[in-house]
Amino acid sequence: MNRRSFAVSQFGTRLGTRAEGEAARARLLAAMEELPPDGQLVVSLDDVEVLSGSFADELIAKSYQLLLSGVYAERTMVVAAPSAELAEGLNDKLTQRNLAMLRVDGDDWSVLGRLAVPHRDTLALVIARDQATAKALADALEIPANACHQRLRRLVELRLVLQERIHSTAPRTQYLFRSIL
Amino acid sequence: MELTIEWIEDVMTLAADEEGQVLDLRDVRFVDPYGLLLLDLLIRDRAECGAPLQVAWPVHAPVVGWMRAMGRYDRIDRTAQLARRLPRVSTALQPIASIADEAAITRLVDGFDARLAERYPLDESPRRTLVRIMIELFQNIPQHSNATGDAVDPHGIAAMQDYRDGLVLAIADKGVGFRASLSLRGDGPIETDSAAIDAAVLRGLSRFTDPGRGEELMRIVRMVRSWDGTIAVRSGGALFHHDPAQGGDLYDVAPFPGVQIALCIPRRVFGIEEVDAKGERRFNGPDE
Repeated sequence: MNRRSFAVSQFGTRLGTRAEGEAARARLLAAMEELPPDGQLVVSLDDVEVLSGSFADELIAKSYQLLLSGVYAERTMVVAAPSAELAEGLNDKLTQRNLAMLRVDGDDWSVLGRLAVPHRDTLALVIARDQATAKALADALEIPANACHQRLRRLVELRLVLQERIHSTAPRTQYLFRSIL
Repeated sequence: MELTIEWIEDVMTLAADEEGQVLDLRDVRFVDPYGLLLLDLLIRDRAECGAPLQVAWPVHAPVVGWMRAMGRYDRIDRTAQLARRLPRVSTALQPIASIADEAAITRLVDGFDARLAERYPLDESPRRTLVRIMIELFQNIPQHSNATGDAVDPHGIAAMQDYRDGLVLAIADKGVGFRASLSLRGDGPIETDSAAIDAAVLRGLSRFTDPGRGEELMRIVRMVRSWDGTIAVRSGGALFHHDPAQGGDLYDVAPFPGVQIALCIPRRVFGIEEVDAKGERRFNGPDE
């Protein structure tokens, strides 16, 4: 996967007002445009001391909402934050918008925003296996296949998991679900 | 007599009831930033309305010196010649600062934070949280205080002071207030100021229907409560007041335009030890 980092600290270390976040968004969206169609933007909070909810909403949450609308093809976005506290304002705003994003910190990851526990469990399994079919996931989670499909549909909608068509034989198309990490 | 979060409403009621009378503050023995800002806005509002408030100013030297150091006498009155001859109280922390331009807010917040950090070695995590709180509260003034365009001059101001048991941050304006601002949401008029405070403070609504907007004030109230602090949010004729002893409730108060907010955060939140009452009483109180 083609990953590029976007340093939020380029706008300052204590961020900031809603207007400042809105002004910064143009640069983040430009960085998104420059990615290849399957690229990933890692929004890095390294060297940021304070990130207000208002700034995070304008810069990150609104950009993420745009990404989910499909205008950036298969691109994905994650947040790299050295502490949960730093991403607290973003977490609040994603929750308000009923969105969820992945936060990474080295090899660790967590979910920011609103995602139900069963969906988090399914996401964790996809990340642990790197890729899997819905059937394999349903078996591992010991849940009916249609319940697993519903969870995966939401994870794909939120661009937390990517789906790839592997078979297209009647009566059903089969997909492989891939981790974005 | 005190001009504080707890007692300033007596002055507001007096000023509303006795138009044309002298507001006698000579016996005032203590003022906090919230009382100071409300007094400042009250005087300004009455002058702009063409009914200037006659004030008999405090005479207690520490109070006058603190008010002078906080910039009170630099701002409006022409009568405080006495105050200018008294020394400024060196313990004053953050004088009254104007909040008008959103572009200047991050710098203003840095200034407040720097003054506090110069005085104490603060724990980093609560210090960062306070910076976030200030960014959100300060930017509300340019964003919302004149949302309808009806306010001639919202006159946003803020000030901060430390005490032996806590830190008081006050932010105030005399803009259009919650009720007029929230009525712009388009889901019908809000009937009372109490309903507007309930909507903004307890339910997290803002004048925007965008789901990403609002909720910050609600979160700040929750945070102050979790710290066992005190918070007052006043708008129009209603006041939300929460303190650890009595909990939170809405009260009817003398009508006044805009939004005025005070947070009192215990010192221990910042890792600063409380000062022994015998060692240092409130800095502009009667023991000085």
